[in-house]
Amino acid sequence: MALKDVLHDIEGYDELEREIEILRKYGPDHVERAEEAARIMAVLHPPRLSLKVSEIIEETPSTKTLRLVSAKGDLLPPFMAGQYVNLFVERDGVRTSRPYSISSSPTQTAYYDITVRAVEDGFVSRLLLEDTRPGDVFESTSPAGTFTHNPLFHGDDLVFLAGGSGITPFMSMIRETADRGLDRKILLVYGSRDPGDIVFKDELERIAARRKNIAVHHVISEPPEGYTGLAGFITADLVKRLAGDVTGKTFYVCGPAAMYERCLAELASLGLPRKRVRTEAYGPPKNVTAQAGWPKHVSADDVFTVKISGGRVLSAKAGEPLMVSLEKAHIQIPAQCRSGECSLCRTKLLSGTVFHPEGARLRKSDRQFGYIHPCVAYPLEDLEILI
Amino acid sequence: MAVYDVVVIGAGNGGLTAALTLARAGRKVALLERHNVPGGCATSFVRGRFEFEVALHQLSGMGTERMPGPLRGILSEFGVLDKLEFVEMENLYRVVFPGGIDVTLPTDRQGIVEVLGGLFPKEKDAVASFLDLVYTYSLEMVQGVFFRDPLISKEKYPTFFRYTFRNVEDVLDEFFTDPYLKAILSVYWGYTGVPPRLMPFSDLAVILWAYIEFKPFHLKGGSQALSNALLDAYLKAGGEARFNCAARSIEVEGGRVRAVVTEHGDRLDTSYVISNASTVHTYLDLVGSHRLPQDDLLKIKGRTVGPSAFTVYMGFDCTPEELGVFETSNFIVATIDMDSASEKMRTLEPQDWAMFSCYDVSDPDFSPPGTCQGALVCLQYADPWYRVEPHAYAETKYRYADAMISLAERVFPNLRAHIEECEAASPLTHMRYLGHPGGAIYGFDQYAKDSAFFLTNQSSIEGLYHAGSWVTGGGFQPTLTSGRSTAHAVLKAIKGR
Repeated sequence: MALKDVLHDIEGYDELEREIEILRKYGPDHVERAEEAARIMAVLHPPRLSLKVSEIIEETPSTKTLRLVSAKGDLLPPFMAGQYVNLFVERDGVRTSRPYSISSSPTQTAYYDITVRAVEDGFVSRLLLEDTRPGDVFESTSPAGTFTHNPLFHGDDLVFLAGGSGITPFMSMIRETADRGLDRKILLVYGSRDPGDIVFKDELERIAARRKNIAVHHVISEPPEGYTGLAGFITADLVKRLAGDVTGKTFYVCGPAAMYERCLAELASLGLPRKRVRTEAYGPPKNVTAQAGWPKHVSADDVFTVKISGGRVLSAKAGEPLMVSLEKAHIQIPAQCRSGECSLCRTKLLSGTVFHPEGARLRKSDRQFGYIHPCVAYPLEDLEILI
Repeated sequence: MAVYDVVVIGAGNGGLTAALTLARAGRKVALLERHNVPGGCATSFVRGRFEFEVALHQLSGMGTERMPGPLRGILSEFGVLDKLEFVEMENLYRVVFPGGIDVTLPTDRQGIVEVLGGLFPKEKDAVASFLDLVYTYSLEMVQGVFFRDPLISKEKYPTFFRYTFRNVEDVLDEFFTDPYLKAILSVYWGYTGVPPRLMPFSDLAVILWAYIEFKPFHLKGGSQALSNALLDAYLKAGGEARFNCAARSIEVEGGRVRAVVTEHGDRLDTSYVISNASTVHTYLDLVGSHRLPQDDLLKIKGRTVGPSAFTVYMGFDCTPEELGVFETSNFIVATIDMDSASEKMRTLEPQDWAMFSCYDVSDPDFSPPGTCQGALVCLQYADPWYRVEPHAYAETKYRYADAMISLAERVFPNLRAHIEECEAASPLTHMRYLGHPGGAIYGFDQYAKDSAFFLTNQSSIEGLYHAGSWVTGGGFQPTLTSGRSTAHAVLKAIKGR
């Protein structure tokens, strides 16, 4: 005798069997649920977007906005002001990607604007600024990122500290606040090299003139002779002077790598609690060997071999993120933030050691079980990885 | 051409333990996972200096080294125990009715009788008798069903035969009069999503018994550590894993599984597939409804997609004590009407029921020194979220999360002021990462008609098997166990061929 022989002796069993019979006759058959998750996510968060350049807008001599529409002609997925798309590009036979904050307002998704500034040795920015024409099509990730206003704890009194092209996420937040008439107080302190370099200058001034809750201040680090506005860098004193009492205000910082070091040190002197300072992911460090904890015996130009499970072998420079070395060898792994925080490129290290700069956001157990984030992982010896 | 003994689709709890069991038995296995991280629900994510536990609240079935539970046995068999550090929770749970009763149940039977007897003196004996029933039922169930007693009969296991399909509400009414006492003892209904009126007594009895007998646990590094350890053991056993690699179709010929084709177009020839994906996706999308045997269509017909969850993950800039949090597992219940509480799982109205887990209470290393984290969760169906306009999604999600924090603040008044990082996950978030219809976290609804007695882990397509919450109960212990038992069924089938 087994359970199946006595099931009918369980009180209620026969009734349930009848219920099941009826449901099998008349119940939902789920056929309408075929591909349900895929269909819904195709609207909200498709894995890949195909973006067509519809317009190129010259913002300043060094900066252009690429207006991107869906190559399929439909609306793009919704996003939160402050989020980015990781744009895939191919240049000299190498496929790589760069995350760009969306600078347009999230109140419409007929297009996303990304605003690109020429950077020295800018492998990708040069391609986007010089070799890109309307009609060109790029692949990207869906919008992602956590450098957004979180109403659950950020409050409505916000101070934006922007440097150079770091204005882009703020522009989206400011445009949204203006478009939707949000009850948020925004103080933007925007550092640029020279007055001709200020991106979105006119529009920012127009919005600030029209909206009492939005104030804009420019700080020029290399002012021309006779410049009468604020000059120098964004300092704690300046912030205090412009923002007044900082209690309860949430500070957001976005700009080039060098700005964070300087700006966060300044903010530290204001004694703000951690939760009141939000920073955008800022990519791999410019010079990783200068990071705390970098081993002295390894120099940036040291070259190691990386073996990929399955056999391929490539060489990788110690001073370059492993992801870049992989891309140069035409090996693609998923990429999104390229700053060590989204974990999308998480890869298993089978042997060898890598250096992760502080701020690489690895899970505790990922460290224990040998996972790395190749977008900010630097080889310190020969490696073997699982792809 | 790649030929495998078995292809496992999905690296959730069930997929991982299935793949591991097969690889350890010397089979050539490919494990496919659409996401880049193993675990499914059993995962974590990092924000600022916090690593948030996604899904695990109380791990059941572990037991102590002295008195090991079934899950400890399985993990030990898998050789992963020494890679993991388990943390026992001091108490079973705290239930707070804001402005009213506030009670913490210990993890021992007599202790529960004392605590509840103190609050409800007239019903103290009834509490003891109720727990007697819970124990008698569970032991009969274990002996008769789990250990497959060949002499199982109504006479030998009268409690099992009488109580299995009774609903929790009826049984509680048989023992108690005070509605609060009933609500306290049935609070685990929230772990299955089925309100007491519809929840089979067998579920509540076994959940209570397992937590009391084998104690609730968590583990260092959270559930991701468990997922990582299982995958690691699988790779060491020679298993092959492909991440960022969803299955696109299961090829069937002559009523038998022939291959799995991946989203990248690779064909993996095999005679056996264990799908850890939802049965809905497996049947309708991977096999295809037009090729599906009528029998399989009927298996899912009439079953309803179960709840997902809404979770607010919060990292706090202070210790649990500073928040007034002294228990790991806190149920906040603002109504004693569980039917209305469960109906709100289908609306976007603020809920009256939530669970707040603060892992740092039992594991002070869980978050950085001087901080702690909390997961505030309620179950919710995805349906109302389908009706939210895409552009209103973020705002709706935050509004809903805000209402949940307000509910929690009725018990812990300073939560908001101490939030340093905060992220909310809706049923659509679960759908995005799991790929399940409805973002369901426990598979189909778990009514009596959906209990193990009526389920099978096998399709009528030869060689196609299932593991995970869609063919067993939801939760960690059931899904981890299900992968192993499905793998054993497959091993047996391979041997028999």
